[in-house]
Parts: sequence; structure tokens; C-alpha cells
Amino acid sequence: MSFLPETDNPELLASLTVFKQHFGFVPRVFKAQMGRPDLVESQAKLIETLLFGKGSLTRIQKEFILLAVSGANQNSYFPAVHSRTLQFLGVDPEKSQQIAVDHHQANLSETDVALLDFARKLAQQAHAFSADDVEVLRGHGFSEEQILEAVLMVGLTNLLNVVQMGLGTEPDFKPRLVFPLKEVNPPEDSERPILERPLVDESASADPDAEFVARVKAGETDAFEELVRRHGRRVYRSLIGILDSVEEAEDAMQDAFLKAFQHLPEFEGRSRFSTWLVRIALNTGLQRLRGRKDFETLDDESEEFRPRRIQAWLENPEDLYSREELRRLVEMEVMKLPSKYRVALILRDLEELSTEEAANAMGLTIPGLKARVLRGRLMLRESMVSYFAKAGAGVNA
Amino acid sequence: MISCHDFITELGNLLDNELAAEIREQLEAHLADCNTCQVLYDSTRKTLRIVTDSGSFEYQPVEEPLVSKIMDRIRAGCELPATPSKG
Repeated sequence: MSFLPETDNPELLASLTVFKQHFGFVPRVFKAQMGRPDLVESQAKLIETLLFGKGSLTRIQKEFILLAVSGANQNSYFPAVHSRTLQFLGVDPEKSQQIAVDHHQANLSETDVALLDFARKLAQQAHAFSADDVEVLRGHGFSEEQILEAVLMVGLTNLLNVVQMGLGTEPDFKPRLVFPLKEVNPPEDSERPILERPLVDESASADPDAEFVARVKAGETDAFEELVRRHGRRVYRSLIGILDSVEEAEDAMQDAFLKAFQHLPEFEGRSRFSTWLVRIALNTGLQRLRGRKDFETLDDESEEFRPRRIQAWLENPEDLYSREELRRLVEMEVMKLPSKYRVALILRDLEELSTEEAANAMGLTIPGLKARVLRGRLMLRESMVSYFAKAGAGVNA
Repeated sequence: MISCHDFITELGNLLDNELAAEIREQLEAHLADCNTCQVLYDSTRKTLRIVTDSGSFEYQPVEEPLVSKIMDRIRAGCELPATPSKG
């Protein structure tokens, strides 16, 4: 869907071979402009010449500019389309995603980092851009022609981003990332920017809470009650993951909902309400945790964990216990995990957030989050061996 | 050939089914040969199944008392304490 009608008329789209050739389809952002086919053709021509055509920058460098600038513009549409194309060019989608988020963390060569610094600055702070910035690229060995192509790629990406946002075109397929904007930032009383990582894998367009959120924003306070009912469990689980006491989690839960209510006017619906709420809950929990004497930071690097108890498990270990016993056992063992692993594990395996959502909520990179979830799972496995291993099976490693 | 260490590093992605086909094939080849990693994989997979199905921390009393408490505070225009309470 777009704000303007999209056409699927094959006759109209027939001339847009360049997109079919490079993407396998005509992206919707162009289908939504078919009220003026001539303008779409002009854009296609520019894209073909500048991005797909042979130039002085490599195709991949140009694609990287497109990713980095789209990321800087918080546009998730184009990274979704282009990371797929890049995959065919041998670039891992994780890497493409990382370039859109922060190219400094994407393992790029120094030259490419300089190129993307240049691109992001031009896209975001054109007013502060100067001859010095061009000089930096020359210093990295870029030719005049390459610099020209870089500048044009930034311009093209800005054009495409603005057009897509202006037409409100939804992704052609589920994007790996959506950039929620400022409403995901923590309320101002937080000391640490844990909520800033702007990465959520979700389509905000179909938020099941949208109606209630709108009613509350329109002044109908009672409608918030439904949101409390719907998400109480999720908020509580996120909090018990951080705070290991039921009473404290309950208290924090009240604070989290209160905070969400107070900040609701700033919530613009660019991420799902539920994700936004979980972030507020985590932030609330972390603030409390920081107030403790035995404060355990959530961002320490961990050393490697080596599984020790290698014993074969029963085929259906859960048959040994009742459902209630299993629940209590899991709760008990989960609560013994250090909180940094516990939170990650709860978000992924009990809350079943996506890796991106959980990373986002905890302010971690995706690899950082994955490492923590794995560590939590392995520690939990270790603690469960005594309950579920076959009698006399295996040895300790 | 991949080592047990490589296998453990990729175990999370294997469990989440987030691997490129060729890496998955290598891990599966390793599994076929390595009893230790087989046991580790099987027991971690079962751990996950138990955890996910356990309904742990599902908050029962989110029912009335707490909902009312939250709504009362909201309706009262309650302000949050300036500093979070210490645990």
C-alpha cells in the first residue's frame, strides 16, 4: 500500500526492465508513481546509469552508500530491497544491516569507512559539509570521478528515501529492520542510552494496539486499561528477567505502565506499541538494578563458556514432571542465571522476541545479543542435566 | 573440517535456524561424527523446548488488583518519583 495508488498493470510496467533485471521485480515505490510513467522512467535511467552502470566506484561501494544513507535517514525500505540484491553479490545480509545501522561496526576497510563517513555527513549534515570532507576522501586515494559518483549516490539515495516516505510505500517484503524514530528513546530520566539502538524487526503498519493507543492519545484514559491487560504479562516477564524479586517486578511494572502512559504523546507509531512498551519496561528495570549494591552490569563482555556435563538426555524429558513442576523448575533455574544472560534468554525464548527486537531492547548488537542468548541457554542446559539426563549416561567433559 | 569449538559458536544459529545452507551442512557433518556435540545439541534443543513450553513467569495476578492499581495511579495523575526507588 501507498498513499497514492500502485499499479500492477503489466503493460505500464513493461518498460521498467532495469528493475526486473536487477531485483527480479518492480519495487512498489515505483509502482506508486505510475501516475507519471515518464518520471519513473527518468529515475530508472538515473539508477541504471549511476548505480547499476559501470563507474569508478565499485557497484558494492555504491550499494554501501545507499545502505548507509538510508540508515542515516532511518529508512528501512531500501535496505530491505538492497540487502537482498547484495546477498547475490556475496554480501552477507547481517553485514548489509550493520552498514545501515552503523558502518563502523561492519568490518569494512578503512577506505570504505571513510567513504561512508563522507556519505552520511553529506546526507545528514549538508550544512556542515565542506572542502575538507572532500579532501579526506582524496587522502584515502579516491579519484575526482569517484568523489563525484559518491556525491551523486548520496543525492540519489536521499531522493529515493524521500519519495518512498512521501508516498508511504510499504515494503515489498518483510524488512529485516525498521527504524523506529525518536519515540523509542528512553524517557529523559535514564542515565544510559539503552533504548537508542534503532533496530526492530517488525512491521509497525499492522499494530494490533493502534486503535487503543489512538483512543488514549485522544484523551480517553480508560482505554489504557486494555493495553495494561494485553501487555501486563509481557512487561512483567521482561522485568522479572532483570529484577529477581516478584515484589520488585510488580512495583517496576506499575512504574513502567505509568511511564508509558505519560510518554504516550511522544509515541508516533513507528514501532509497535508492544515493543516500545517492553523497552520502557527494560529501562525501568535497569534503572532499579543500577540502584542496587550488587549491581551487575548488563554490558560486560563475557569470557567463553565451556559446557561440562555431557550426558545423553531422555527422549522426552518433559514426561518426567507435571506441567506445574516444569514451570517451577524452569523459573527456579532461570532465576539463577546472571541477569545479563537471563534477560537475553527471557526475551528470546520466553517472550519470543526476534533477535533484532531483543538486541534493540537491550541496546546490544545482534552478534552481542546472540552470544548472550547462547550463553544463557548453555548455562541453563547445564543446570538441567541432573533433572533430565538418562541415568548413568555419559561422562562429564 | 569444523571443530567442536566452531560448532558451539554456531549452536545458537543452528537452534534458531538462522544459518546459510552450506554452514548448516558443515555443522550436520560434524554432528554425524561427534558424539559430544550430538549430546550437547540434543540436550540444548530439549532445554529450549522445555523453557519455551513451560509458561514460566506468566503473570497470573495481572488480573484485577494490579490493573486497578495502575489505572488508579494514572487517573490520579500520579507523577513518577524523581529518582527510581532503590532495591
